[in-house]
Amino acid sequence: MLDYLLPAFIVLMAGLGTIAFWMGRQRAARVRAEGTAMRSQPGQYGWFMSLASVGAATAIIFLCWLALLITGSPVPLYSLYFIGLAVALLGMGLALRYVRPDFHARSAIEGVIRFMLAGAALISILTTLGILVSVISEAIRFFSMYSFWDFITGTQWNPGASFLEAAGRSSSASSQAQFGSLPLFAGTFMITLIAMLVAIPVGLGSAIYMVEFAPRGVRQAFKPVLEILAGIPTVVYGFFAAITVSPLIVDIAGFFGLEASYTNALSPGIVMGIMIIPFISSLSDDVLHSVPNSLRQGALALGITKGEMIRNVVLPSATPGIISASLLAVSRALGETMIVVMAAGMSPNLTANPLETMTTVTVSIVSSLTGDLSFGSAHTLSAFALGLVLFAVTLLLNLVSVFMINHFREKYRLNTI
Amino acid sequence: MAQSFDDITKQLGKRHRRTRRLKLTCMAAMVLSAVFLVVFLGDMVNRGWSAFQQGRMQIEVSYTEQSQQMPLTAVDEQYRQLVSRGFFRQIPQRMEADPELLGTTRTQWVIARSSVDQYLKGRENSLSEQQRQLIDRMVEQGNAKLAFNTTFFTTGDSRMAELAGILSAALGTLLTIIVTMAICFPIGVMTAVYLEEFAPDNRFTRLIEVNINNLAAVPSILFGLLGLAIFISFFGVPRSSPLVGGLTLSLMTLPMIIISTRAALRSVPDSIRHAAFGVGCTRWQVVSDHVLPVSIPGILTGSIIGLAQAMGETAPLIIVGMVAFMPDPSFSLTQAATVLPAQVYSWASLPNQAFQEKTAGGILVLLAVLITLNAAAVLLRNRFERRW
Amino acid sequence: MKKTIGTAAVLASAVMASSAVQASSNSSQLRIVGSSTVYPFASYVVEEFAATTQYPTPVLESTGSGGGIKLFCAGTGMDTPSITNASRRMKVEEFERCQSNGVNEITEATIGYDGIVFAESSVNEPINLTREQLFLALAAQVPQDGELVANPYQSWSDIDSSLPDREIEVYGPPTTSGTRDAFEELVMAAASEEMSAYGGEYTDIRSDGPYIDAGENDNLIVQRLQENQNAFGIFGYSFLEENPNALTAATINGEAPTPEAISSGDYPVSRSLFFYVKDAHVDSVDALRPYVELFMSDQMIAPNGYLSTIGLIPLPESLRQQEREEVTSFTPIELSDLQEG
Repeated sequence: MLDYLLPAFIVLMAGLGTIAFWMGRQRAARVRAEGTAMRSQPGQYGWFMSLASVGAATAIIFLCWLALLITGSPVPLYSLYFIGLAVALLGMGLALRYVRPDFHARSAIEGVIRFMLAGAALISILTTLGILVSVISEAIRFFSMYSFWDFITGTQWNPGASFLEAAGRSSSASSQAQFGSLPLFAGTFMITLIAMLVAIPVGLGSAIYMVEFAPRGVRQAFKPVLEILAGIPTVVYGFFAAITVSPLIVDIAGFFGLEASYTNALSPGIVMGIMIIPFISSLSDDVLHSVPNSLRQGALALGITKGEMIRNVVLPSATPGIISASLLAVSRALGETMIVVMAAGMSPNLTANPLETMTTVTVSIVSSLTGDLSFGSAHTLSAFALGLVLFAVTLLLNLVSVFMINHFREKYRLNTI
Repeated sequence: MAQSFDDITKQLGKRHRRTRRLKLTCMAAMVLSAVFLVVFLGDMVNRGWSAFQQGRMQIEVSYTEQSQQMPLTAVDEQYRQLVSRGFFRQIPQRMEADPELLGTTRTQWVIARSSVDQYLKGRENSLSEQQRQLIDRMVEQGNAKLAFNTTFFTTGDSRMAELAGILSAALGTLLTIIVTMAICFPIGVMTAVYLEEFAPDNRFTRLIEVNINNLAAVPSILFGLLGLAIFISFFGVPRSSPLVGGLTLSLMTLPMIIISTRAALRSVPDSIRHAAFGVGCTRWQVVSDHVLPVSIPGILTGSIIGLAQAMGETAPLIIVGMVAFMPDPSFSLTQAATVLPAQVYSWASLPNQAFQEKTAGGILVLLAVLITLNAAAVLLRNRFERRW
Repeated sequence: MKKTIGTAAVLASAVMASSAVQASSNSSQLRIVGSSTVYPFASYVVEEFAATTQYPTPVLESTGSGGGIKLFCAGTGMDTPSITNASRRMKVEEFERCQSNGVNEITEATIGYDGIVFAESSVNEPINLTREQLFLALAAQVPQDGELVANPYQSWSDIDSSLPDREIEVYGPPTTSGTRDAFEELVMAAASEEMSAYGGEYTDIRSDGPYIDAGENDNLIVQRLQENQNAFGIFGYSFLEENPNALTAATINGEAPTPEAISSGDYPVSRSLFFYVKDAHVDSVDALRPYVELFMSDQMIAPNGYLSTIGLIPLPESLRQQEREEVTSFTPIELSDLQEG
């Protein structure tokens, strides 16, 4: 029954809105036909009527619903619909009185629209708040069980034996548990580092070639390559890393007499690097393009070669932009999940050898949220603490990056004046 | 420091060689990424193309009363381990639907078990030597073959590799994307319009701008945590439904749409705005009647790319539970569903090796859709975007 | 343009509003969540159920045992799952949480056993191990001359000269996995009880390299074992069943992991698999009763049933009958049932 109520209500509201529109327009048209000059067009009065009835009703229903949810009380659907209907009719009646020559319907609409647009813009703020709230509330529960300082600086990630808990010996188990997140972050940074070692040279190199050297045809032909690379889903990269690249790396390492784990950090790192190439390349492309041509011409006019111009003039002035792009790429790599879930290991391992197995923050988040642990346990809650730190780190990187790119833009905007 | 002309010429040659070297290095970088793409696509095609083929066998099926009770007895004993379980399962239903079948014996093509399928494709399998010989004989007589795999496109997930298909995941993806776009396209465009055309330059606006840039780079898995806590726990949206998946993805795609829409709006020259203001338009009239219409190609291009990105996203959907097992396709916003990337992920973690081929097959389908979308976006941009 | 944006905005808010409405109204679809170990079996039953009955297809989602129980215990509303699968018993605290949310009557169904096997690539000679040897290979601390020291063993032959001279390298489930809990309890803790130096205070699997956490339900582990012939893997019996040509299992205390040995308890490392039914849903979700009956039928869980072909170890005959009766009559469990185990 309820399934049909909502569509019915939506149709009803749409109908009311249309009626309100016509009423307003008709009435205004009549007034105008009598020869009185009006402040606004008839259609604008119509829109005003619609907004005042249906728009107000929708807004009020939504606010009521939200308020009820926040206070946690049950939502009386029928009364909500009824209130909505009442507001719509009331709004229509009131608004009808405003359809008169000296009323600025146009600016009234303008005000409402501006308000709506600002409301839409607010959603992105709410999203950030939502992420923070959802992560922090659980993270606080975790930090009430485990010290924040030990979490940040500990080198042992050893959530303890939860089977002891199952056997009713939880007191000894919880004292054993260690949640030092350094090995996880070390793994994350190692994989990120490898990814950057692949992505920055290749991405930057191809951007330089595209901007400075490539003939138009090559540029046209190469762009789709980057676009396809950018469009490949991460889960696909993950499968590729796990099933093709990892064994390959083990074989190659074996050829050189090295021993590599099948869940080595190198393979997700390399594949993640491939994933990020288009990102770096297109950002660097923009940055190189925004280096003013006057610099290039000036440099060439002094008689230096093109290579020297790129190395000594273009690149140095583009450096802040390139660093900013790289920082953005780093924050992407840090938060990348599927590739590492599928291809990286699960052992927290504090090592500098990329051929060994390592795990990352995101892997740990996914595995503790989808594992067999009891949900209130410190181990599951640690996922949220890790999420919080991850958010903080990426936030910091982004802020620095935005600051740098703004700085870069400012510099050249001044130059071009 | 006097240098002879020869010295300078020699040096010049060296300097030019260095330029060439730089050019070659940069070109190599470009070629390298193209090589990556080719290797990657080649590998996927190599692993996945056989998912589009299916092993079938032509055998005698006797529809007796006994076979209605015990479907296995419908075929000769030597084939029982070779024919798909899914076929046996349907025998009683088929006989109920078609009473004329009772008492007849028909020679028909049936779907083979995945071990046979893998054997026909020359991959590792668990058949015994005897069974292999039987199949070899059948192939010689034309009674066993590989045919185009329609099952892969017309069924949902299955525990039996030979019956597993992508239809329910594809429907789930479609619904999720519809929800995503229905929410993030209007909100994204509205936000962009506000920031580009309406917003006063104050602290609040700058906060929103910084915030959007930051959101664009927040790890996608955190959006999953948001979906879990806010949409599922707080708003009570049904878990693992396309609705909650779409809501989560829409927040994730929002920054991307806002940024590309802003770029599109910014590329509209101010002269258009000035002209519209000059004839007495309000700000909203300028935007809705003049600026938006000319920037639509740019907005759409950005949205399609955002859509493609949302389509390939997996991590947040795993957190909000969109990895359900869906043997039958369902078309509802509020009931559980799975999406293509999640299907790929869950196949990739199954113990049966035959699913690896399915995984790669699913990936090929997903890639085909995404590449088509991206190509459409590029086409749209090249065809309709105006340069001022 | 104005119109489209207006409509879109209205629609968007409508969609938001509708979600809460529809959540409470959608009935009769059976929702199952829970363990990834039980998932292969449950998905088989779900598929069979969908193909052979007229009920709407049940929804099965692999959330892990803990996540499943959390969802299951959230309340008795129609938007909560009716069944959760578990690779371990419900914990007392979880049961209490259930009770406090109004989920009072829960039926526990034991569907069979899962043997935990210690396997390697089949190119190797089969190996015979004892629990003690496994313990010495994998524990963080081992007794030496009556004292506990950090595990010094790097090669199997260090532990016992009869074992091959191969480096200890074991892919095992991560700490989040129920398989690991079971392995630690049944192998490590059990072995440590016989060692005087420990006094029953076993704590951890070693984390210095030889034990490598790997995803537990991951066919990549099978591939890795094929390619890395030195390594062993710890996983559920069904992986062995699905890859008979690629893997060979070690015997533990002289017992090979065969269905018979696991079912009779001779093979020491096995655990029960469960699902829990919310009795409050029996009348409101039509598909629940027939699904449970199908799952508990001989066609599925008997020794020649379908689930045994994909690796479920059946319960012994008498226990199976008893379990079936209790489950299909939806006899709820008591707190004391959980405490004893």
